Amino acid sequence: MTHSSPQTSNAAKDAPKSRLGLWLTLPAQLLILFVAVFPLLMQLYLSFSDWTPLAGRSWTRAHELWIGFWNYSDLFADPRFWGALWRTMIVIGIAVPVEFLLGLGLATLFMQDFRGKKVLYSTLLVPMMIVPAVAGYMFFLLFQSDGPINGLLSALTGLDVSIRWLTDPDLAIFAVMIADIWQWTPLMFLILLAGLLGVPREQLTAATLLGASPWQRFRTIVLPKIKVIIVIALAIRVIEVFKIFDTLFIMTAGGPGTATETISVFFYKIMTLELAWSYVAAAGLVILIALSILAVAAMYFLPKSKEAGK
Amino acid sequence: MASISFRNVTKRFGDTMALNDVSFDIEDNEFFCFFGPPLSGKSTILRIILGLDTPDSGEVLIDGKPVTHIGPAERNIAMVFQNLALFPHMTARENVIFPLVERKTAPAEIEAKLGDVAEKLHMSHILHKHPAQLSGGERQRVAIARALVRDPVAYLMDDPISALDARLREETRIELKRIQREVGHTLIYVTHDQEEAMSIADRMAILRDGQVQQIGTPIEIYDAPANTYVASMLGAPAINLFDVDAMSGVTKNGALDLNGVDLDGVERVGLRPEDGRLIGVDSGLRSTVSMVEPLGGATIVTLDPPEGGTPIRLMLRGQPTIEVGAGIAIEYTPSALMRFDANNERMGDTK
Amino acid sequence: MTSIHLDNIVKKFGDFTAIQTMNLEVRDGEFLALLGPSGCGKSTTMNIIAGMETPTHGTVKFGERDITHVPMQKRGVGFVFQNYAIFTHMSVYENLAYGLRMNGTPKAELDRKVQEIAEFLELTAILHRPSAGLSVNILQRLAIGRSAILEPSIFLLDEPLSNVDAAFRAVMRQELKQLQRNFKQTMVYVTHDQLEAMTMADRIAVMDHGVLQQVGTPIDVYNNPRNLFVAQFLGSPGMNLLPGALADRGGDMFVDLELGGSIALKGSDAQAGRAAKSRDVVCGFRPEAVQFDDAGVSLSVTFVERIGARTIVHMGKGAASVKAVFDNKVAVNVGDQTRIAPQDNAIRLFAAQSGESLQVA
Repeated sequence: MTHSSPQTSNAAKDAPKSRLGLWLTLPAQLLILFVAVFPLLMQLYLSFSDWTPLAGRSWTRAHELWIGFWNYSDLFADPRFWGALWRTMIVIGIAVPVEFLLGLGLATLFMQDFRGKKVLYSTLLVPMMIVPAVAGYMFFLLFQSDGPINGLLSALTGLDVSIRWLTDPDLAIFAVMIADIWQWTPLMFLILLAGLLGVPREQLTAATLLGASPWQRFRTIVLPKIKVIIVIALAIRVIEVFKIFDTLFIMTAGGPGTATETISVFFYKIMTLELAWSYVAAAGLVILIALSILAVAAMYFLPKSKEAGK
Repeated sequence: MASISFRNVTKRFGDTMALNDVSFDIEDNEFFCFFGPPLSGKSTILRIILGLDTPDSGEVLIDGKPVTHIGPAERNIAMVFQNLALFPHMTARENVIFPLVERKTAPAEIEAKLGDVAEKLHMSHILHKHPAQLSGGERQRVAIARALVRDPVAYLMDDPISALDARLREETRIELKRIQREVGHTLIYVTHDQEEAMSIADRMAILRDGQVQQIGTPIEIYDAPANTYVASMLGAPAINLFDVDAMSGVTKNGALDLNGVDLDGVERVGLRPEDGRLIGVDSGLRSTVSMVEPLGGATIVTLDPPEGGTPIRLMLRGQPTIEVGAGIAIEYTPSALMRFDANNERMGDTK
Repeated sequence: MTSIHLDNIVKKFGDFTAIQTMNLEVRDGEFLALLGPSGCGKSTTMNIIAGMETPTHGTVKFGERDITHVPMQKRGVGFVFQNYAIFTHMSVYENLAYGLRMNGTPKAELDRKVQEIAEFLELTAILHRPSAGLSVNILQRLAIGRSAILEPSIFLLDEPLSNVDAAFRAVMRQELKQLQRNFKQTMVYVTHDQLEAMTMADRIAVMDHGVLQQVGTPIDVYNNPRNLFVAQFLGSPGMNLLPGALADRGGDMFVDLELGGSIALKGSDAQAGRAAKSRDVVCGFRPEAVQFDDAGVSLSVTFVERIGARTIVHMGKGAASVKAVFDNKVAVNVGDQTRIAPQDNAIRLFAAQSGESLQVA
């Protein structure tokens, strides 16, 4: 039997291709090296030291102030850190589900045709397009005790509503969440709408003909098919909540006191007010690891093959 | 215009043997059809001809020259896909001239080639339309024109008309045959509609599990199949196969009288549905009519043989009156009976 | 078991009229095929029966019940889609069980019914496999089973065999027919393949451009088409239709064909000819009814299709073309000059203007 050794000849043809690929991606690889890898290594290095800008020497000599894992153990004993983490969890636990449900509701609505659909669509996207800092200031004004929101509530209830949204420690976090929901529901709406549009219409019709009510259809056909999209949307949002800064800071600066101090605000304050840079480096790495675990867990939900998602 | 040959081509995909020692010669200007069930290797053969896949062993020759190391682009073989793959945002005209534009052909030459092809395919009046505005048959012609316009050495069609309405399929297959005759290119065609294959092919190859069972003109294969598999591949309803009991001179299911037939070495006999006739029962060979399907021009009668087993199907011309449940004997012209040996291969020439 | 009544159904999509005033009755337990080319309105008709569309005018009744405005969720009809619409994220079992789950059937009974129908459809071996990626033949049985398990009295099938390759189609046709015989449901089957309709249906309803052309048993519609459309749509190949003019020569009726030559009309054909309002007619005869006749019309052979059991001989050109079907022994070659004539009682006359039959009421 004659073999023209196609296996080796094919392999020989492929090898130059992959080397070329390597060379072509080199610029991107270098970029990532500088932008992601080096800073991380720097951060790691600093986190093992007690260096601050007031230490009187360049950060490169931080090893002289080596303290090993002390920053980390201090972090775990720091009530302010845990408080910030807790508040971040509150936002994740309340705001994200609300955004999700509102987004889903809107996306479901948009599966039908109705008058003014295009106008509503454009309107819905507006909050997402506003610069977060500007949104922050907007809500700062809205939530004033003598501001428009209280004014509206007064008009609606006939009472003299004078809620101290931004200055009451128990309420401030809700004001912040309301702002977040307003800003990011549109994103959820867009992602979920894309997901819903991908559900095969015929299968929904088939389900209806088999006697499924709208709710049953939603539960048994739509949800399973948009499972992946939902996971992705939630993962994106949760990771973003850890990064909330502009809007919140302009509204409350993390206050009153630490009532709205979420993780990113915590980092900012410790860094700028207490100048404990290496401490923050350690804290930042801890959060990074936590979020990476979360992202990997989310990927577990992704389909293994192209077919499974349909 | 070119001949295309395979010499002992074998191709594996992982553990599956897609093609197993396949050899054939397709003549210049021939309308050649590959016929077989799904996964029999038809599409693999097309891909290898195009150059999209390379054989594990064996040779592919175009015009007598090996082309194993010539890439698809240089082979100048055109392909018409089943879903036509027309560009929806272009007009028919732009679709057709696309291959020429891509190759930076001179505008004057483009016009000349376009005019030529449009005339041959009777589509000058639809050139300005977009695919969405065309009927299925018209879109088909645009796809064919696009393949022809670059004057290919040969063109391939993989099941191009199975998605069309039944009536349109009948008309289009005649069109395709006419076009191929007029244009004069080698056309390699894949289908699993046996009537279609028989109608349009100059010659055809029957494939099974990656192996060529038989190559010949449709009528050759129909009248003289190499084995029971090929015999049952062509003809609808399929040929009736009967196990033979040499001792008793009757088929094992008791339906056919085999007196006068040379049964030496014969394991099975075959009778095509159109070769059987029904006669009143005087002998003991009574099969019972279980179903009568009038098709208009012909009637298919299904019979349960006396000793039970696979039902027998006969096709009678016109609309004879036949009662379900009637007891009937089957008569046939001896020369129409096919004999098969223990290896399921057809024996001798009974005609 | 129920009958279906479509009374004066009209369906418009904006300016486009998909169905024009249709009256159709599907009898209890009957297998009716809705037959016609793409775009004729057959799928729309079925969607109206299923409740996926509401008619612009007219009513739909199941038996005595007016269900025109009953939502599709509540109609209880079985439906098999052309692409099967299997729930690809569920297993075979879950697909079959779906309808019973939705109506709250208790688990034990649900499981029993699923096992039963799986066995009947030979799906037991793959019950717990994911339904995505299964072969078309299996998907079709699954699609049928998923609806059949609810024991609907009406079953609708939308071109279910169009995705099946030619070789398996014959087998699947038998299976479907068997199923209908067993369950005796009222079945409406949409197809564009007249052979499918002929072999499977108790009656066929032929449609074209939203208009119901003719309803009757397959053989009846085949033998006595009411108009030109039905005449050419049924039969493989369709009926030969040759324009000509009626002529009365000394009491004997003839049709003088445009392509040349004449055909003598006898008996009831002659009567129909005499009663015709206009002399311009189309003379039709089926390809199987063509015979060689020295006194017949002269034509040259342009193409010969030898397709096994039959030979289709194409003669003449364009509007003057005739197809004839002979057995596989006929000796004809391209270029031969032949003379042919239709068999007696095979002649069908149609008014050239309206296309209506002169013989069928």
